[in-house]
Amino acid sequence: MPEDQNASDLDLVRRIKRGDDQAFREMVDGYNARVYSLSYGVLRNSEDAEEATQDAFLTLYRKIGTFDESKKFFSWFYRVALNAAYSRARRRRPAVTVSLDDYVPRFRDDGHAASPEFAAFVEGAEDEAIAKDLAERAEGFIAELPDAYRDAIWMVDVEEMKPADVAETLDISIAALKSRLHRARLFVRQRLLEVAAVPKAGDAERRVAR
Amino acid sequence: MKHDEITCKRLILESLVEYEDGSMPDPDRHELERHLAHCPPCIVFLKSYRATGRTLKMLKPREIPKNLAEAVMSFVRARCDKKE
Repeated sequence: MPEDQNASDLDLVRRIKRGDDQAFREMVDGYNARVYSLSYGVLRNSEDAEEATQDAFLTLYRKIGTFDESKKFFSWFYRVALNAAYSRARRRRPAVTVSLDDYVPRFRDDGHAASPEFAAFVEGAEDEAIAKDLAERAEGFIAELPDAYRDAIWMVDVEEMKPADVAETLDISIAALKSRLHRARLFVRQRLLEVAAVPKAGDAERRVAR
Repeated sequence: MKHDEITCKRLILESLVEYEDGSMPDPDRHELERHLAHCPPCIVFLKSYRATGRTLKMLKPREIPKNLAEAVMSFVRARCDKKE
């Protein structure tokens, strides 16, 4: 997020604090798409994401007085948005968690990666129709991740936000973000391989992966 | 780093994020690339890692609900009734 963006955000924040409704409107226009998209990553449902977006802006309106202007506005507001989405998610569904350790790559004794089923996935991902199908499945796999990992992969790989901005939003170090991101990618990759693999060749691999 | 110091495990589990995002120091990068040139399993792993990345980029919602901004404004106005 560029510095001048933060400066114009701060200008809007101050105007909103003074009760300027037009400034609030500008904030909504500037941020509603991103907030919706972040919410969608948590909720995977457009109606819920829209409601979470409304919740986030209501919180913004009510709590703007608590925002510390020495911090970046976007990181504060994205946290507000994620909290709104998770709050809605908790009401909607039980938490499902997976063990990421079950999905790290497997290695042979000589230290080389053991991966007979790669070809189908790599080739499939280059075919547009198959890639679309894989993307839908990937969305489900991301939903299986623990929240901290889902946030990391959704913001960096799907939203294509800068890692520094994501780390700031999540209030973690860049190193911690990269670690979460990598583990989340390995998980999604392994799950995609399972569905993309030719069944007869992949049976044994999949049993191990589960 | 010699070839046998860069086991595939180290490349895949510890170094791939830095390699892919460009933050890896040049000497390490060159070593890794030398390793990759002689390690087909790591090449296919890297391809599948990148294919995962390409797949994830397709997930971003392209359609934002029409009138979302209006809906947000109405929602907030209804609950705040102007200034509190």
